[in-house]
Amino acid sequence: MAVNESLRVLKTIHYDEQHYSLFLSAGAIGARTKPGHFAMIQVGEGLRPYLRRAFSIADVTKVAGVPALEFVVKIAGVGTAALARFAEGTPLGVLGPLGVPFPIDDLLPSDRVAVVAGGIGLAPLVLLARTFAARGIAADLFYGGRNENDVLKRGDFERFLGPHRCRYATDDGSLGRKGRVTDLLAQALQGGARYRRVYACGPVPMFRTLARVLRDADLEGSFAMESEMACGFGVCLGCVVPMADGRFATICKEGPCVPPTAIDWARL
Amino acid sequence: MSVDLSTALGRLRLKNPIATASGTFGYGLEFADYLDLASLGAISVKGLSRRECRGNPPPRICETDAGMLNAIGLQNVGVDAFMAEKLPELARLGATVIANVWGDTEEDYVAVVERIGDDRRVAAIEVNVSCPNVVRGGMIFGNNPEALAALVKRIRSATRQPLVVKLSPNVTDIVASARAAVDAGADALSLINTVVGLAIDLERREPKIGFTTGGLSGPAIRPIALRMVWEVRTALPKIPIFGMGGIETVEHVAEFLVAGANAVQIGTANFRDPSVAGRLVGELAAWCESHGVARVSDLVGTLRTRPREDHAFV
Repeated sequence: MAVNESLRVLKTIHYDEQHYSLFLSAGAIGARTKPGHFAMIQVGEGLRPYLRRAFSIADVTKVAGVPALEFVVKIAGVGTAALARFAEGTPLGVLGPLGVPFPIDDLLPSDRVAVVAGGIGLAPLVLLARTFAARGIAADLFYGGRNENDVLKRGDFERFLGPHRCRYATDDGSLGRKGRVTDLLAQALQGGARYRRVYACGPVPMFRTLARVLRDADLEGSFAMESEMACGFGVCLGCVVPMADGRFATICKEGPCVPPTAIDWARL
Repeated sequence: MSVDLSTALGRLRLKNPIATASGTFGYGLEFADYLDLASLGAISVKGLSRRECRGNPPPRICETDAGMLNAIGLQNVGVDAFMAEKLPELARLGATVIANVWGDTEEDYVAVVERIGDDRRVAAIEVNVSCPNVVRGGMIFGNNPEALAALVKRIRSATRQPLVVKLSPNVTDIVASARAAVDAGADALSLINTVVGLAIDLERREPKIGFTTGGLSGPAIRPIALRMVWEVRTALPKIPIFGMGGIETVEHVAEFLVAGANAVQIGTANFRDPSVAGRLVGELAAWCESHGVARVSDLVGTLRTRPREDHAFV
């Protein structure tokens, strides 16, 4: 069950001009959060931005001993720009945890999984990697971005999964392999890697390619999708995507984590 | 001082004037974790059609200054699923339910209304003649007083439920729409639905919404809504009115009552904060008390206007 509560800003870490981590007090949301959940955050009291913004809950952690929710954010508009500027202690209305989390309860300690991130799509995957580490599940990370600055929180991923399991790709070659992250995964599969499931979050073009790669390799996937939404809990019906069965399904309620086979990629 | 929050819209009696608006409150059940549904005056559920409707292709919404545009396209589970799956649970939770209905044709509206019948778990029927986001039906009735009157007459003869007609603001003369609905048998009016608008993605030179235009809602439309409530109240002093459009705070609620609404519906604000409608009930009692208002119905239509004078050339 989700909670509608007021959480305080604990800390903001700016990675560069575009990317930051926002830490809020965990409230009652923290203990209920599973990897893949998201929250709706009220960005101030004014009328612009008017609506709450949806963010993946990147991690449930601590700031100076205080339980905290971490959100990793890329500035993309008025909401994400405003959210970067709140002083420590500012109360923000937060609704969460929301949505369908990543399916992980069926994994066995002997299973091997892959985690694929594109750019700011790392956001829901940090807590996932932490959870895999805690459960002793071996996970390979494939993380791509346009350049080195787009590939965030490498230290956390390498700590949780092991540095040898983390592979990177960038468009300009400034980090890891020059090229696309989906090519990294495809090469690993060609090299004989087999995964119980592939967990992914990134931009739609990455998802499209990845859906094909997984289909061709007959691999199961779970994609954390993004969509513009007004409410976050299945009411506004604004965040729908076309499904393979012909319906329009809400990303907030039936997602954000969905199997790629459920989406009608041609109509998306 | 204990404040009497009860209000009456003809035969429809509400424990308080805070209701929630169709299209912004799902089937009510989605909000049960965030407020007590029984504490609200009423809830108007997502517009129900004869059959399940899948709605418009995305993108369906975008934020605008002080509000949002939507073109959902009336996606809903259909009246049969509502009656079988949603209404029993709403009744169990003690909600006062207004069934919002729509159709492409007069026959569609009548079919939905007949399916609801005299079911006592429904307190009133709200007729949506004002959705701007569908190709057929919807606003086609709302924009034409003759078509509106004919539709309301047919629905009136098909049900004994209190009948609320939700009007479109996308007209030149809201009073003409109001009169047509009332003369055809409406017990009450809801105003306003969303205002047709357009938002543009300039780099792509495309509309931000797939349907091209959408319905504007939120604080941006509140002055328009207040003006229309006041105009209809002035022209039709006796007709019960639900006022809505951009209500966020208890002061906004009071403004609508003063302008002439007997009750209000909270809309887009439910997206921003799912607990807001429940909170406003308590805040309204406190506001009345601090302003020496013993009965909330005493506020209705108390706007003091100055006589308008002819402009004088010098």
